[in-house]
Amino acid sequence: MRSLTYLSLLLVVPQTLALKAHDFKTCSQSGFCRRGRALSARAREAGEKWISPYTVDPSSIAIASHQATFTAGVKSSLYPEIKFGLELRVHDDGVVRVRMDELGGLRKRYDEAASWALISEPVISKDIKWTAGKKDIRAVYGAKKENEVVVTFAPLRVALLRGGKEQVVLNGQGLLHMEHFRTKTPEVTHTEEPEPKEGEEIVEDEAQVVVKSENPRAWFEGDKEDDWWEETFSSWTDTKPKGPESLSLDINFPNHGTIYGIPQHATRLALPTTAGESPFFSDPYRLYNADVFEYLASSSMSIYGSIPVLHAHSAESTVGIFDAVASETWIDVAHASEKSTETHWISESGILDVFLMPGPTPNDIFRQYARLTGTTVLPAQWSLGYHQCRWNYVSSDDVRAVQKRFDEEDIPVDVFWLDIEYSEEHKYFIWDKKNFPDPVDMVNDVAALGRKMVVIVDPHLKRTSDYPVYKKASELGYLVKNKNNDEYEGWCWSGSSAWMDFFNPGVWDWWISLFKTQKLENGWSWTESTEAVHIWNDMNEPSVFNGPEITMPKDNIHHGGWEHRDVHNVNGMLYSNLTSQAVARRSDPPKRPFVLTRAFYAGSQRFGAMWTGDNLGTWEHMAVGVKIVLSLNIGGFSYAGSDVGGFFGNPEPEMLVRWYQVGAFAPFFRAHAHIDAKRREPFLLDQPYKGIVRDILRLRYSLLPVWYTAFRETSVTGFPVLRPHYVVFPKDQAGFDIDDQYYIGASGLLVKPITEKGATETKVYLAEDQVYYDYFNHHAYRGAAKGKEITVPAALHQIPLFIRGGSIIPTRERPRRATTSMKKDPFTLRVALDKTGTARGELYLDDGETYGHEKGQFVWRELVAEKPVKKARSVRIASKDLGLRRPGEAVEGVALTAFDPGNAFAKSIGDVRVEKVVVLGLNAKPTGVRVEGGGDLVWEYTPGVAAGEKKEGTASVLSIKDPKVLVTKDWAIVIEW
Amino acid sequence: MIPWLLLLPLPLPVLASVDKTFGVSPDLVSRYVPLASGNWKCLDGSKEIPWSFVNDDSCDCPDGSDEPGTGACPNGKFYCQNKGHIGASIVSSRVNDGICEPECCDGSDEQPGVCKNVCKEGAKIRSTYIAFAHKEKKRLEDLVESTTQQIEVQEKEVARLKDIADRTESISKAAMEHKQQSPLYLSLIEHSEALKALQREHKKHLEREKALGDILNTLRSGYNPNYQDMAVLEAVRGWEELAGLPHIGEAEKQEESSETAGESEAESDKETPKEDETPEEVWTAEKLETDLDPLLNTDYVSLLLEHDEHIRTPHDEGSLLFDVTSYLPDSFIPQFEEFKDTLVSWLRTLGVIRGEGDSVSADSTRARQAFTDAERALQRLKDENKKAGEDLAEIFNIHGFGAEGEWKKLDGTCLRTDSGDYTYELCFFEEAKQIPKHGGTTFSLGRFESWNPSEDVKPGEPEYYKKQVYKHGTRCWNGPERNVVLLLTCGTENALLTVAELEKCEYQFTGTTPALCLPLNEKSARDEL
Repeated sequence: MRSLTYLSLLLVVPQTLALKAHDFKTCSQSGFCRRGRALSARAREAGEKWISPYTVDPSSIAIASHQATFTAGVKSSLYPEIKFGLELRVHDDGVVRVRMDELGGLRKRYDEAASWALISEPVISKDIKWTAGKKDIRAVYGAKKENEVVVTFAPLRVALLRGGKEQVVLNGQGLLHMEHFRTKTPEVTHTEEPEPKEGEEIVEDEAQVVVKSENPRAWFEGDKEDDWWEETFSSWTDTKPKGPESLSLDINFPNHGTIYGIPQHATRLALPTTAGESPFFSDPYRLYNADVFEYLASSSMSIYGSIPVLHAHSAESTVGIFDAVASETWIDVAHASEKSTETHWISESGILDVFLMPGPTPNDIFRQYARLTGTTVLPAQWSLGYHQCRWNYVSSDDVRAVQKRFDEEDIPVDVFWLDIEYSEEHKYFIWDKKNFPDPVDMVNDVAALGRKMVVIVDPHLKRTSDYPVYKKASELGYLVKNKNNDEYEGWCWSGSSAWMDFFNPGVWDWWISLFKTQKLENGWSWTESTEAVHIWNDMNEPSVFNGPEITMPKDNIHHGGWEHRDVHNVNGMLYSNLTSQAVARRSDPPKRPFVLTRAFYAGSQRFGAMWTGDNLGTWEHMAVGVKIVLSLNIGGFSYAGSDVGGFFGNPEPEMLVRWYQVGAFAPFFRAHAHIDAKRREPFLLDQPYKGIVRDILRLRYSLLPVWYTAFRETSVTGFPVLRPHYVVFPKDQAGFDIDDQYYIGASGLLVKPITEKGATETKVYLAEDQVYYDYFNHHAYRGAAKGKEITVPAALHQIPLFIRGGSIIPTRERPRRATTSMKKDPFTLRVALDKTGTARGELYLDDGETYGHEKGQFVWRELVAEKPVKKARSVRIASKDLGLRRPGEAVEGVALTAFDPGNAFAKSIGDVRVEKVVVLGLNAKPTGVRVEGGGDLVWEYTPGVAAGEKKEGTASVLSIKDPKVLVTKDWAIVIEW
Repeated sequence: MIPWLLLLPLPLPVLASVDKTFGVSPDLVSRYVPLASGNWKCLDGSKEIPWSFVNDDSCDCPDGSDEPGTGACPNGKFYCQNKGHIGASIVSSRVNDGICEPECCDGSDEQPGVCKNVCKEGAKIRSTYIAFAHKEKKRLEDLVESTTQQIEVQEKEVARLKDIADRTESISKAAMEHKQQSPLYLSLIEHSEALKALQREHKKHLEREKALGDILNTLRSGYNPNYQDMAVLEAVRGWEELAGLPHIGEAEKQEESSETAGESEAESDKETPKEDETPEEVWTAEKLETDLDPLLNTDYVSLLLEHDEHIRTPHDEGSLLFDVTSYLPDSFIPQFEEFKDTLVSWLRTLGVIRGEGDSVSADSTRARQAFTDAERALQRLKDENKKAGEDLAEIFNIHGFGAEGEWKKLDGTCLRTDSGDYTYELCFFEEAKQIPKHGGTTFSLGRFESWNPSEDVKPGEPEYYKKQVYKHGTRCWNGPERNVVLLLTCGTENALLTVAELEKCEYQFTGTTPALCLPLNEKSARDEL
């Protein structure tokens, strides 16, 4: 009976729960995607005969004075009268930027996507030189001259080579097509009757189809105008006043068989195919920020955000591309062979603006991409704690009661969230006084225990004159316009709504002023708020309930006259950008803001956290959530997570426990639930589940030093916080597809969250000949150089969490109710010796909320376990000052030239000590343990497997009691045996 | 700040010893002494550690017992003495976390200087409660004494009136039986019985209607309008129309739009019951409710006699004779009655008056009435006396208002708090209620049942008074009766802090009261040593 029910559920789910697929376009329902795929199909059919009509005019080549940039004219044999301009720049880090635009066209293509994504204008190389030849122009660079960019003239082809091998090739398949602007000619009927026209001077006369004679461009463009001027989807018609302007480009990776990136899609980390023979998905990957209700757990459909960055990987090298396009984009992926990847990018509008990142390692790509779009923000430390959310905590007393219950059960939590129902008629900022009569008191009650609140502010404004925010925005013309240039009205939570237009620079200061907690002389501000309130930006795709594909019509008009179609994918980023500035600037000096966004683009990582939107409470969604978050980490956006428990549905206790395990090992850790879902706060669980979840939360809090240290590294280098296997072991082919286990920063912690029902054990892949210790019971497992799968216990209360031999893990083991209460707590160090008996770790600390770290207010330590040169039978565990040694690499955004170990922050934690050191894998029982230059320490030793042995089994454990060494100081503990 | 750590150079010598019993609860203090070996055994017996490891801010015992005064061990307990108050235990995760725990009013959970000692204030107020209890005791004692005296007097009076009534009745019994055969009387009785039956049936229907109304109200306020279930929507709309309620969504909007709207709605709520009223009708619904019972309680026998008298007016013989008692001083009545009995029987034999004298019956009813009234007055006195006696016993009863009577002051004191759409009211030792803010039924959440019923807690201990149980509230739809557990802590004000429905129909209230703020007494003073 049970299995029968389960079966019938499976059958029912797709119909009742599944998304409304018909709300969203497939490629065949999108004019330009259809045209793009048709182009690709024609090319495939033509085979060898297919030659791109685009060529570089060699005579037009102009190399800039600094020599790392050149421009050239490009022509298409289809439209010889249309001019295109090509420009290639080589940046000082070897990244190549390829730009192409129509010159002197009827209109201007949107060219500002990159300006929103990039942190600054990239620095052009001073050394690299272009050399023009007869057939091509090339530049050779790199320490060993290993890199080369070659632009072939006829047909136009751009190739990036490394060691003579092609890494990336643009237009290698000849699918480049930039639809130029044209004027609309009268309706053309593809009838037999030839229609002789008198206007021969009209050059854009492709509309004239002389049926009897062959259309000379049909081999390339097809023989009909497929949705050029108007397009209807469901009940919506897109007027497309600018006509066709799409961009098609093939990007090939002849020597890379695995690709990652282009988030956000609910699929595996290593992207499955969408084209070629028996593709995994039938539609291309789509990038079009969309509020997809109950999205599928496996699909190439677009969801809330878009980062057009792709990594192509092989055991030899990694290479990346970033396509700075803001319009709707479809990407077909195929593998002509196991060792190559062909991608086809079809965008609706905008210039061609592609960055080629030469790698050659995954970390090089992260660094190169971070130099373009910035790194994941170093978040306020409290925001790495646990976030408790629900749609909705219904009153201020509800919030107080939830907080009290957490405290009664001694379950840690840092943030309580308020979804849309806090606001009166969904007029964001305006409290519903019936249920929240005392908002400031409520926030103060939460803040009194060192906690914060996050309150939602969405970008749609209720159109009512008693809403000061809308009233002012409307008066000042700060709202998005419809195609008739009137204020655009759509429907969202607040009913009839209008949308802020953040492309208007005039909006910026005003928006920032709204969040001020003090009364302003001129204008409304959120005085019923405090600095403990941070912000959640939802629905910023934007979500419009009555719009095409639940978003804005593409012919809406933004500031500067750009159509919504041109800017759609960057629109949401501007919102979280401005909101994070607003939150930071409530105080002087500013404090680190926390802003959660649902929509995002390349660069959004600079402004806060993202989450994977409205997932379902199913095992499939739990599992794919991990993969999406890994993909986001690859895409430069490390501060990511999924709703714990699933937004929709009522997870059974087992699922909820597993979901907490997933959440505790995600950078952003928040539980959330739909308004129709039953309450499921951890304190509501029965035993043993309640106890298990409390332990999970305490584990998360104890590991916060690891997370914070990982975020520091990310914020400086761009290396992801979550590192899937291929990032850590780029040469291990067997690990390329692994996306259910990952490392946390450089800490050496390896975790495999369980995402299946009823699991009691699981397999974990170890890619190296190294010892891995079970975090909890210290069981030593051995990997192998060829890679090895180990089987580990994974019952409900067990998390497969391992310390890689050679790591030192700093933790704070005292359970506290929130992060703020941990600031003076002592540390525990787990020293997990590697095969050779050494280990290394890092610890980064700062005040966690201001920007003092940018002025050198921090503590950055290196922790090492090394073998003293003179004494063989000993190990020396020491703390060294990294800030002093590498001040320039310590914090993001500023290259400090000096570091003062006695800075005010260091002084404020001057009494914080190490209260325990646990050494795993020692060879033998020590004869003495002492602080260098000090006395003997108290210790306990449990014999077991040594790190250097080949055996598996419980490792030897040396537990050193309270060495009382200070975390801000240099010290060493010597263990002898 | 931990100053004693700051000052220490590296390597750190052993910390200046913290009091080894710091943070230990009084019942465990005796176990915090070193063994002869100089070691100390963890409370769970699992491990022996040097005595110097106790309270050294480093966790050694698996059960955390070696760190009673620091936060070094997870899941431990810290005891704050709260001199001038009740001592309290908090979890060790709250020790030295930078936040002053309200349970530790002495501030001992944080480093010195972080938290103020606020133990004193509540105890002062508590002492005024105790003074009140003593005053109250005096008042009740006086009351008992005075009522006891009054009872004595009244008892004599009752005996006297009973005598009179018995005498008057004895002469009329036979006559009554005859009169009660009157068709008018019999018909009246039948009317009355029919009316009683009708009233009973009517009440049943009223209750049924109310129950239905409650179900529909729950549906109306609880359904999810987003589901668009037309059957549910129709039921809600139909009920709203029938009951004259505003549509639930619109009602909210009206309130939001202006405060006066809320008032007018409240007024219209009051008026709703009057809508049924028809001015022409003599028996309005209201009158029916209030006046029908007294009508049905009419003494039909008296009525029968009065009726006879009425149709025979003016009075003939004997009326003066039988009324004469009212003119006589009380002390003459027995003699007079004796005399009257003789006279009447004599007159009857002479045929002057008829044996079943009407006036005799009327008189006997009045006499009976006087007797009943006096008896009632006596009962009232006795009740008052008894209650005062009981109250007196409760004041200093550990199961009642506490050994010191400190809770007497709060007897019947009502506290309120708003939560969501409801106002919650709790009247100490009486009843807890859930009152909807926007119309609807007020539910009883239970009546006072007891103090902390846990067997682990001894009545009279401070812990005993931290919990009150209110039981047998309105039954939940399809569920159990509503109950409330009230958790109290010492505070300078009587206040309800939170209300939570932990499980279906099981409410937990929390609140503060000065009645719990114990002064330092000799016992706890000894415990400290």
